Amino acid sequence: MSTQASKLFVVAVRSACCHPRARPTLKQSASPCSPRVLLQRRLFSLDSLSSGPGRPQPQQARTDRASPSSAPTHRNLSAVAVSVQDQSRPLGRYDFLDLGEVEENTQRAQLCRTIKRFIIDPALAKLVTQHLGPDLEDSKAVIFECNPGPGVLTRTLLNSGAQRVVTLEGEKSFLPDLQALECLLDGQLEVVHCDFFKLDPMGRGSMRPPAMYTDKLFTDLGISEANWTDEVPVKVVGILPQRIERSQLWKLLYVLFDRLSIYRYGRVELNMFISEKEYLKLMAKPGDMLNYRAFGALWQMACHIELLHKEPWASFVTSSKYKLAIPKSRLPNDNLCLVRMTPRKDLFSASLTPSNAATLVMMVKQCLAKRKARLVDRLNMWSPDSGPKLLKEMGMQEDVLTGHVYPEEYKQLFELVDKSQEFTQSWLYEEVLENTQKEGWI
Amino acid sequence: MLLHVCFLLYHNASIFSLPFFFPVLEARIQQLQSDIVLDVQHAKVQLVNASKSGRGASSGKSPKNVSGWRTELLKVGQTGKGGGKDASAYKSRWMEKLIQEKTTKTKKLNLKLGIEDKPVKSRKGKLMLPGTTQKNILTKAGKKTASTSKKSKTLKNQEPTAIQADTMAGAPVAAATVPIRKAKGKGKASKEPAPEFSEARDQELAELERKTEAKAQELAEVEKLEWKLNQWAMSASPELVQDNSEARMYEGVQLSVHCYLEACVFCGDIDRAQRLLLTHHRMISRRNLLNIGLYNVMMRVWAKKGSLNQIGRMFILVEEAGLKPNLTSYCAALECMGRTPNCSPKVINRVLRQMKEDGLCVEELFRLCVFRQDERDMVLRAIHTVEPDFQPSINTVLHTCSSPLVKDFYTERADAKYPKLAFSLEELRERFSRQLSMEQTSTITIHSVEAMKPVTPHMAKMRALLAEQRMVWHKALVGALRESNMILASITPKAVRLSLYPYLCLMDQKDYVDIMIQSLSNLPPSGESLHILAKELGNRVHNKFCIRMKSHNQMVDKLSHIYNEYAELLAKDSKDFDVLPRERWWKLEAEHSSGPSLLGDNTQWPHTVVVELGTYLVDLMVKHMKVNSDILNPANDRKFIPVLYHMYTFRSNKQVGFIKPHPILTQMQQDAMETTLTFDSYVMPMLCPPVPWTSAKFGAYLLTPTKMMRTVVGANQHEILLEKCQDADLHAVLDSLNQLGNAAWRINQPLLDIIISIFNDKGNEKLDIPPPNSEAPKILRYSQQDLATYSSAEKAHLKRELVKAKKKCSEMHSLRMDALYKLSIANHMRDEVFWFPHNMDFRGRTYPCPPYFNHLGSDVTRAILVFAEGKPLGPGGLKWLKIHLVNLTGLKKRSSLAGRLEYANTIMDDILDSADNPLNGKKWWQNADEPWQALACCMEIANAVRSPDPTHFISHFPVHQDGSCNGLQHYAALGRDVIGATSVNLIPCEVPQDVYSGVAQQVEEFRVRDSEKGLKIAQVLEGFISRKVVKQTVMTVVYGVTRYGGRLQIEKRLKEVDDFPKEYVWDASHYLVQQVFSSLKEMFTGTREIQDWLTESARLIAKSGNTVEWVTPLGLPIIQPYHRTRTQMLKGTIQDLSLQITHDSKQKPDTVKQKNAFPPNFIHSLDSTHMMLTALYCYSAGLTFVSVHDCFWTHALTVDTMNKVCREQFVALHSQPILQELSNFLLQKYCSGLSRL
Repeated sequence: MSTQASKLFVVAVRSACCHPRARPTLKQSASPCSPRVLLQRRLFSLDSLSSGPGRPQPQQARTDRASPSSAPTHRNLSAVAVSVQDQSRPLGRYDFLDLGEVEENTQRAQLCRTIKRFIIDPALAKLVTQHLGPDLEDSKAVIFECNPGPGVLTRTLLNSGAQRVVTLEGEKSFLPDLQALECLLDGQLEVVHCDFFKLDPMGRGSMRPPAMYTDKLFTDLGISEANWTDEVPVKVVGILPQRIERSQLWKLLYVLFDRLSIYRYGRVELNMFISEKEYLKLMAKPGDMLNYRAFGALWQMACHIELLHKEPWASFVTSSKYKLAIPKSRLPNDNLCLVRMTPRKDLFSASLTPSNAATLVMMVKQCLAKRKARLVDRLNMWSPDSGPKLLKEMGMQEDVLTGHVYPEEYKQLFELVDKSQEFTQSWLYEEVLENTQKEGWI
Repeated sequence: MLLHVCFLLYHNASIFSLPFFFPVLEARIQQLQSDIVLDVQHAKVQLVNASKSGRGASSGKSPKNVSGWRTELLKVGQTGKGGGKDASAYKSRWMEKLIQEKTTKTKKLNLKLGIEDKPVKSRKGKLMLPGTTQKNILTKAGKKTASTSKKSKTLKNQEPTAIQADTMAGAPVAAATVPIRKAKGKGKASKEPAPEFSEARDQELAELERKTEAKAQELAEVEKLEWKLNQWAMSASPELVQDNSEARMYEGVQLSVHCYLEACVFCGDIDRAQRLLLTHHRMISRRNLLNIGLYNVMMRVWAKKGSLNQIGRMFILVEEAGLKPNLTSYCAALECMGRTPNCSPKVINRVLRQMKEDGLCVEELFRLCVFRQDERDMVLRAIHTVEPDFQPSINTVLHTCSSPLVKDFYTERADAKYPKLAFSLEELRERFSRQLSMEQTSTITIHSVEAMKPVTPHMAKMRALLAEQRMVWHKALVGALRESNMILASITPKAVRLSLYPYLCLMDQKDYVDIMIQSLSNLPPSGESLHILAKELGNRVHNKFCIRMKSHNQMVDKLSHIYNEYAELLAKDSKDFDVLPRERWWKLEAEHSSGPSLLGDNTQWPHTVVVELGTYLVDLMVKHMKVNSDILNPANDRKFIPVLYHMYTFRSNKQVGFIKPHPILTQMQQDAMETTLTFDSYVMPMLCPPVPWTSAKFGAYLLTPTKMMRTVVGANQHEILLEKCQDADLHAVLDSLNQLGNAAWRINQPLLDIIISIFNDKGNEKLDIPPPNSEAPKILRYSQQDLATYSSAEKAHLKRELVKAKKKCSEMHSLRMDALYKLSIANHMRDEVFWFPHNMDFRGRTYPCPPYFNHLGSDVTRAILVFAEGKPLGPGGLKWLKIHLVNLTGLKKRSSLAGRLEYANTIMDDILDSADNPLNGKKWWQNADEPWQALACCMEIANAVRSPDPTHFISHFPVHQDGSCNGLQHYAALGRDVIGATSVNLIPCEVPQDVYSGVAQQVEEFRVRDSEKGLKIAQVLEGFISRKVVKQTVMTVVYGVTRYGGRLQIEKRLKEVDDFPKEYVWDASHYLVQQVFSSLKEMFTGTREIQDWLTESARLIAKSGNTVEWVTPLGLPIIQPYHRTRTQMLKGTIQDLSLQITHDSKQKPDTVKQKNAFPPNFIHSLDSTHMMLTALYCYSAGLTFVSVHDCFWTHALTVDTMNKVCREQFVALHSQPILQELSNFLLQKYCSGLSRL
């Protein structure tokens, strides 16, 4: 408690020095604020008194806050105490932020010009926040929030004590509000006009926000490159845009193996909502000849994948007037799945490095293009007669099908191939360089 | 059912002699056993058979009964054809449905609006004067439904018949369309209001309404009503199309079965063919898919064998399948009887009588059937046994094209002086025989231009090695193919699955292997996608098969005979003719009617078969072509490694199967630098004048099958349309194609030598001579260790560089190969005179058939081609040469012709210097827009001025006259847009107008305005807006380029400007394309309106589920083959292929494509019409004329004449009410449902 108090003090002082601008004056709301419980599921939504339409007015709300019962609200109380003393200081990390009216947020989200999904439901936001870690206030990892829109999750994250949240908002119309919030706060929130899914584009077009290069983003944020084995430096949370879901996942996979783009800065952890069918493909196991493909195998090889939560499509607000059609699939596809993909610490080793990982990717892709082919045939194609030898070394059956080989086994196989002299002349190596580039993900 | 069967047996038993009765019975029993439906009657049938004569009372009744519905069916079928649409039986059915729907709706609406029925009808009566055709269709459609409801049992049989009648009987279709066409013409008078289609329509309506003022209000209401009805018609049609598509469903199956049968028959495996047909026949579900053509295939086989039993058996099957024998069936029957010695006249008489009963006549048989070998003689012999004096009449009456545009051309021949070729008859005949022998071998091997290089010992060694390997591979492949064929043959085919086996037996294994080895040398080092490779292989096999088939049918002799007589028309030393090549050929063919038909009747294989066959061959190649790994580098271990490997590349998440050569093979090929190239024979220009197009199916090469209208593989909607066309309507199109094909060419040798010298040296990118691979950037390889030392950014950079280098390499390779092919062909033809046969795309734009080397190509190929025939320059020729030269430089765009001439005179020194020292002089020519053509022109001018009398200088040089932004010209003329017309030189002006500069000026004005407003990008662009930047976009806007495409074009131009800041390129191009679009809108008001009208019409048509069709003023029918994509999976041993088919007429139309493509396609169809008209009239003026779309070429002497013809024809074309006729046509075609009320 004492540490917290001192922290608060520091914050107050710092903000006094660093923010000569007074925070925007608050309009006094004429209407009496009636506390309203939005959803029963919420744990502590007693604060959702909204004072008038339009801008959130946290201070106003804070004074009327009901008695705290949990730790966060406890902290909020102390914040209230401070704020009473000094009306013009920026909000600290213990100030409770008002999430705004659900209806209003929905409307705002629906005004968005590009078709996207948003988290508006406070309960959902809370749930996501909880999944991002029990120890948000102690974690050093920066949280990148992709396309927050009206900012419900942003506020929920801040409310739960997240140390540092960076919102990457691609849509201009949402920026003013977020920036206003940024001003209110004291460095816990940074707002960048950037679309996470347009980082490092390959196509033509001008490099203007929201398109951006990763090194600019990270340099601006003061995040430096880290070792692969270091702790997770950045947690990304967001919803993968439906239209580019698959290509984004591929892109991330390529940069992961090459340690480029965001992965230059260490093992960036993704917490993404992806469609259920894509999740099922991601997690397909060997033997499932239809769905086990290079895509899933490589992700499983590279990351520890964890399903955090399933949420029905309907829980999200769509910006389009028309319903965003849920893609049909043979696989069940009733939910969006919150999936955590943490790159494995031991992904890279002496024999697998970012410089030859592209060959591994190519090898797996070639193998799994046809799952019912015999692995030994593939290997023989790359280097005649070496197939049986390698399989023997791996301790595998001679007639094993490519679709029956586990991701980890592919990795081992590649390490053997890479060591073997016979493959040096193989065209496999030449192929790789060309093809990953063709994809365009550098 | 019993009656039906009895009838069949009764009939057939009496037609044919008895011996074949027992096998028939057996077959019958077999069928009955497999046929559950018929099973019950089994015993009874036997009973009837046993009585032999079978004229029992029961069977006596049945014929009437059955023939009753049969004739009715026939009528329906015919009226269906009358509708002018495919699968019309279906159409009429849905029309009926639609009409019913509409009448009820009208009634309801009438009630609502309080309008009585009467006024509506009276108005209809007035407005629909010539509604005869519609009525016809209506009544007959009525009949059809009546008959279907009457006998539900017969329904099943009717369906295939109707379809088959449509596809098989070409002639009745053509005949039936005549009245329709006339009605269409009259249709103009009929006034159906359809506001969304035509403003002109509205105007006419308004006038009409003024006249009948008394009823004005009523009429307005009626109009509203009709408009609404029209809307319904639109909304109702998707359903109709689905109906239609059901009918089309069968086409694919029929085609593949047909080709399978043909292939079996060709390779002599009659058992297999018969077995397949029978298995299909026995399964009711499959039987319904069959058509008469398939049974005919077998009938012809049995006819060849003289096996009457089998023929009879086939006839039973046909009847049983509910099909009607057609001309070909009877033809086969007669042929068989002709072959049977002492065939009883009674039998023949019965056949003839039966034919008559079926509404077919013997004359038609000779006119319409395609005969192979001695079939015709056999049929004639059969007929002669009963009618000894019978002679098929020779129809020599020529119909002429009905289009008013070419009326003069066909009727006023007195003044015409059709050009002759500068060859004697003897020479032409000799050329013909050379061409014939080339096509018969189907491939030709020539020396490449690289053969001039010296051979190093290493090269010699590699060549020997490669040759040796090829022998090995050849042997291995022949063995493998033989083995796999044996396996395939031993597998008993599953019921309906069509195996590849017959397609693999068409030729010797050796021939297949030759094709495979040939494709190996054409394989680029970066590999080729399996699909493309397979397609190539499959097509080669098909081509070779077609040629074999023709010689198998013994038509080559007849062809030679006719061609040798035809040559008289063209030869300089024979008498003058006042007929066109097509007419002459047609007449000759009619005169020599005996023997096989020249018209090949072999069908194009379905695309799936081609690809499947190709994949099969590729698989063999991958599996069986091996090489020792130590062949080049003894240090390697000795292993047997495959020469080709199959792998996948990944393109935006799609995996594409790829066949790549092993680096060892690439190395060998590169080191050997082999100097021979093997081409398919059609790649070479023809050595004799092409066979004139006499129909949409026959013309161009002697043996190689060629389509008059090139289309996406597998799309047949164009062919169906063309077949439906009345012959005479295509005459103008055919004649213009013939005229273009008859232009003789030869090589400009001095220029070719210069180009080859540069090509064999180091190439020159600036002059568009691709450098050899040795000049390509080196692909650097980095070892793992090296890479580890770089930072990630450096690595990314390295990789990018590497990719660039690789891309560049493969680009350079393909450019180099392309140039190598072109130059090698040119070099091979250097002392020859040659011809380019022409065909056209689906919009009527004409193209030379040989793919690599032709006058449509790049600057380089155009420069090395000159007319074979020389003409004196005459008084104005030199002037035109000089002007032509200035045009080629791209300078003086805004000078008058006189100004250009003057300019040319001032630079005579440069011109002469260029001609004398092209590579060592001042090199003035190298800065021209089209350097090589400019150089050629310089040389020609130099020769001319140095000759004693330039007016008598014989020039072979083609002088071009280019349309100035041809698309806009047509739009301006269509819209009668005076300002627009002025800017594209349709109105006489002092100085030629330049629309591109005009647009650039306008854009600049916008820019200044914006930059004053403070727009950043407008300020950045200051001084960068030029003619060149906007030219391509302006030119293509009329052809429907979108903002997206336009931006890319401008981006490219801006990137070429060196001092333009690169970071602004995207913004600037984005800004500029907007400005160009708005400038054009401002300058060409009419254009935009017409474009919008076309687009909107197409959108509505496509939305209603139809594809957009129209007819050019010359009568060429055009249909846009854009449909929603269908994916077809092809199973293969090597991998499964999925084919994306976008032209499948069973699919709904692709609205976006239909809509976006209609305006440009329509304009292209107009410019092609203009070109054809010019070609025809130039022909009657005796000119040599060729065209590159809107750029017309002729001798310098005749430029003036050509210009005159060109102008006259442009005026004539646009004097036609083109848009009005289009509107009428569209209304008639897509809104005629309305008129049936």
